[in-house]
Amino acid sequence: MIDCDIHPQIGDPEELISYIDPAQREWFRAQGASLGLPGYSWVHPSSWFRQDIDQNGHPPAADVDTVRRELLDPSGTDAGVLNGDDAVLVSLMPSPYRAAQLARAHNEWLRERWLDAEPRLRASILCPAQDPQAAAAEIRRVAEDERFVQVLLCGGADRPYGEPRYLPIFEAAVECGLPVAIHSGGEGMGIAAPPGGAGPVTFYIEWHTLGSACSTMSHLVSLLCHGTFERLPALKVLLIEGGIAWLPGMLWRLDTNWRALRSEVPWLDRKPSEVARDHVRFSTQPLEHTDGHDETLFEMLEAAGAPDNLCFASDYPHWDFDDPDFMLDRLPDAWRAKVLHENAAELYGARLALPADA
Amino acid sequence: MPEWVDVGSVEDVQREGRLVARVNGREVGVVSDGNGTLRGIRNRCPHHGGPLCLGRVGERVEGEPGVYALTGRQTLRCPWHGWEFDLQTGLCVDEPSLRTAVYQVRVEGDRVLIQA
Repeated sequence: MIDCDIHPQIGDPEELISYIDPAQREWFRAQGASLGLPGYSWVHPSSWFRQDIDQNGHPPAADVDTVRRELLDPSGTDAGVLNGDDAVLVSLMPSPYRAAQLARAHNEWLRERWLDAEPRLRASILCPAQDPQAAAAEIRRVAEDERFVQVLLCGGADRPYGEPRYLPIFEAAVECGLPVAIHSGGEGMGIAAPPGGAGPVTFYIEWHTLGSACSTMSHLVSLLCHGTFERLPALKVLLIEGGIAWLPGMLWRLDTNWRALRSEVPWLDRKPSEVARDHVRFSTQPLEHTDGHDETLFEMLEAAGAPDNLCFASDYPHWDFDDPDFMLDRLPDAWRAKVLHENAAELYGARLALPADA
Repeated sequence: MPEWVDVGSVEDVQREGRLVARVNGREVGVVSDGNGTLRGIRNRCPHHGGPLCLGRVGERVEGEPGVYALTGRQTLRCPWHGWEFDLQTGLCVDEPSLRTAVYQVRVEGDRVLIQA
């Protein structure tokens, strides 16, 4: 089983600050526990995290032992990908220079504190998306370590990722043979656009329903309309935690519009849904509850390319975590191997097999 | 055996850019393809049934990402939803499962004839 979304927590900020360039440590220290990352305006009313994980006052999943004990061992995880948690918001910091420094420090922290300690773990490369040239340089630097299996971008953004300004990020990923993951989060924070598309929302429940789904839709439609996959035929994108039940409707809508409005994006010489099937994968978590209509959900998802485009993700240790056994029970029999293992194995390729199988 | 049917004058097509006539119970249009050649096509879009021949003939644009390039290929764009049709084959360019009928056109003197 391959888990595409595990969130390591920064327990002690000083631990991460030790990876910051000495000339910038005072600034990061002065930001307190946030490390200068934009704070969330919409906060979970009780906790972001599962409440059953006791870690002596630290956030859960702040060390490898806990992740091993709570997730990897009991779930039978063969490989798990670490995605920076709040740290993914580096791309929403007002200063691209601080963002680049924090991304670099986080990548080094992942390498030494996590990847060196547990062979089942892989990691995503953090990069400062607000400065695409700097982001591309960081991707190329970190990708030399083959335990980093993808580039990680944040759902929150000031413009959708199909904008040509972001091309250096995608070019660097392709050059290094890495997929680009876009993980929901950060919508409306820092320099990001408001969540939902109709101005700032009121409640966390609105933010969690709309923010992540709408940003994911926006990036998907933007990448397709700008012809990013035509520019970079080897590019693969994994959309994490933005929901999937909306996918068939969104692709049908886009295809319908494309037939009429193709002249605006004339480089799209086939249906956008076909391009999405070839290039875009989705994490399953949080798989929408359907009140007894799972068969309808799966039938619609099949029309949008499932199960070939779905990869399992737990989102450990967050409150809306999907337990692997629970997912096994819900998925159609014929989907299980693809969703739990095969699709992610294909997406990440040889980097997933290293070094345990080397 | 299809027969040649007089559907109007060249002047009609030139004035309006098209003419529409009823032939054997069906509405058939004759449009100029932009290069002066007259094309016959059924006046019904296979998508939603719109009056296809009332749409605009224009040169199709294609290109690499970020680049808009004229192709020299003229298409008829349905006035309802904008779907584009090839005037020679009747195929919906971006949805080849859809096709509308096309007809041979002949000009004799000032008269336009279509084979239907």
